[in-house]
Amino acid sequence: MMAIDPSLLLQNIVNGVFTGLLYSLVALGLALIFGVMDIINFAHGDFVMVGAYLTFVLATTFMIDPSLTAFITMPIFFVFGIVIYKLIIERVLGAEPLIQIAVTVGLLMVLRNLALMIFHAEPKGVPFTMFTQPITLGPITIASSRLVAGIVSLVALGLVHMLLTRTKWGIAMRATADDREVAELMGINVKRVYAVTFGLGTSLTALAAALIMTFSRADPYLGLLYGLLSWVIVAMGGLGGVIGVLASGLIIGIIEALGITIVGAGARELFIYLTFFFILWFRPRGLFGKR
Amino acid sequence: MSLLTEAQTKTTAIIIAAIVIIAIIAGAAYYLSQKPAQTVTVTKTQTVTQTTSPTATTSPTKTVTPPKIKEIKIGLIEPLTGAHAVFGQEAKQAAELIIDIINNELGGIKNLGGAKLKLVVADAGETPEQAKLAAEKLVAEEHPPIILGAYISRMTAAVAEVTEREKIILVMDGLVDSLTEQGWKYVFRAAPKASAHGKSAVDFVLDMAKKKGLEIKKAAVIHEDSIFGTYVAQGAITELMKNGIKYMAEAYPYDISDATPIVSKLMDYNPDIVISVPYFHDGVLIAKTIKEMGFHPMFIAGAGACGYTDPESIKAAGEAVEWYTNTYSYNPARPTEWNKKVVEMFKERYGKLPTEAAGIIFYSLMVVKEALEKAAELHPEDPLNPDNLREAFLALDLTDDNSIAAQLYPTGHIKFAPNGDNIYAGTAVLQVINGEPHVVWPDPEPGIEPVFPRPDWPGAQG
Repeated sequence: MMAIDPSLLLQNIVNGVFTGLLYSLVALGLALIFGVMDIINFAHGDFVMVGAYLTFVLATTFMIDPSLTAFITMPIFFVFGIVIYKLIIERVLGAEPLIQIAVTVGLLMVLRNLALMIFHAEPKGVPFTMFTQPITLGPITIASSRLVAGIVSLVALGLVHMLLTRTKWGIAMRATADDREVAELMGINVKRVYAVTFGLGTSLTALAAALIMTFSRADPYLGLLYGLLSWVIVAMGGLGGVIGVLASGLIIGIIEALGITIVGAGARELFIYLTFFFILWFRPRGLFGKR
Repeated sequence: MSLLTEAQTKTTAIIIAAIVIIAIIAGAAYYLSQKPAQTVTVTKTQTVTQTTSPTATTSPTKTVTPPKIKEIKIGLIEPLTGAHAVFGQEAKQAAELIIDIINNELGGIKNLGGAKLKLVVADAGETPEQAKLAAEKLVAEEHPPIILGAYISRMTAAVAEVTEREKIILVMDGLVDSLTEQGWKYVFRAAPKASAHGKSAVDFVLDMAKKKGLEIKKAAVIHEDSIFGTYVAQGAITELMKNGIKYMAEAYPYDISDATPIVSKLMDYNPDIVISVPYFHDGVLIAKTIKEMGFHPMFIAGAGACGYTDPESIKAAGEAVEWYTNTYSYNPARPTEWNKKVVEMFKERYGKLPTEAAGIIFYSLMVVKEALEKAAELHPEDPLNPDNLREAFLALDLTDDNSIAAQLYPTGHIKFAPNGDNIYAGTAVLQVINGEPHVVWPDPEPGIEPVFPRPDWPGAQG
């Protein structure tokens, strides 16, 4: 590994950008829920896992492309999120962080073991996808599934950003995030805002899961991978809204790809967490955190 | 102010109380932890006397006639419950079948007057601690002279600690290389170890290239970074170096989220062949990414028996794993008289094809039979003595012509080195052809030809 081919470097920056966009989408739901509701949801990654299995089941049953299942899984997950909120989360709102952690870790364990029980430990994948041809631009090769995943993620991030800044609902959400009591005094139905936020955050994991399934697989431990990654992205973004999530997702994606290229895939997590460590060292409130 | 001091004294009191309680608990824990240690030594001496008792009974007869042995207990310690139960259960089924064949069809151990084998089984659970406990219990209750087990390498190591101490022969079906590198005296392994899997994958590719008149100059080895995956990769790398082939190697954690950086690296290096050692999850991801990125090397060969060619992986990856191969410790399609027969009997009794877990037990248990015959021949006065058994194992040289064991083995040849490994270890290679796994090397299934090079390799058109 004396000199690294510049085209390989460029190739991996491109790889990193597309992976990073998808990572941002995975973390977006968590950022939304944490930002608005102040709930520490450790089961977030396992929502992605459940979404991946649901995508697998729907795609293989109806023989449709995994990416298209998002049209079905997103509404299902919106309802699933609201049900989880009503049954579990609402009861621990405003409780001590430790209790919230215990509850969501419990939820994570239930989901993970349910997946183990139903699907066993072997990976499940959708054996077909419409994205098979790579796109070649000079020395750069882009897998079309990653291109689609990246673009869809970017659009979803944009839509959520618009929702938060341009619509009444978004303003209500942000107001609730800023000060729950004042928001309530202003006539905002906080409980309903919370339920919708949790539903929306959960349905975004279904979209991410559908995109992941175009090139990867579902297994019971998928939550471990994406859960931790989401927390890193949210903490690094410093609750800077959608822009913060996008920026830190991209940083993680590119650092990961370059780390694998320059040093080796074995040290992948080392680079992610070193970056995380350094950013929080210099900016303890994250990239976009307010002082 | 007084309130503050009161609070302070209160906290000091609480802290002191806490320290006292912790001290009491620690003392009690220390006392309790000492107790079981004593009981362990007690059972130890018990088992020692138990293991010496058979020799005590045999020593008087030593001078005159050989002992009359009617039954020999063979231990089997496998993960029958927990995460690895699928393998353990199949191993148990295989052992029961082979024991029946030895006792009924082959008339027991001939050199011991037709002595029968009796299988005694213990559940190794899913951790080394559970496996060790199972071994201790089995040894104390049944004291078999030979034990087979325990599939998962770290659990096998835990069992070996017990069998070595008690001087019991352990025939291992765990594959990590280091199991035979501990200086253990009473361990044997007929199955190909991890690095033999890597070596076989390279040997297969080189053999095919030679047959097709193709030259391989550059290879890439990618592997998941567990101990097993690393040993398999090492075996492949050693074989590549021996053949003067340039290579790059890349380790990665099996739970990677995206394989594009690794595949980009492969495409940049542009090797003729890729040797890939996956676990199951990463195998699906890598195969799909290689297909999507349009990477077309001459050949992609898996090694290590995980992923690519198993039915679940084919279901999950679909077309992406077409023409992929992987190495297995057993060849259900090997066309020898006894292999055909055992596979048929297994299918009839259990309604499924034997996989690797069963296959390793097939030949390992048949090796045990041969060793017992040999021990009776070499030391009729005391055939079950551990040192005599060890000598018998080392004296074996089994081939298709002289044994059933070798007929069940992928290479058809078993001879043990002093460390307990089979000198002629090798694997079978399975290939996905039209979405179905087929044995293609070294003894292909009838009517099946290995697909080499990959038809989508640009050089294949010529």
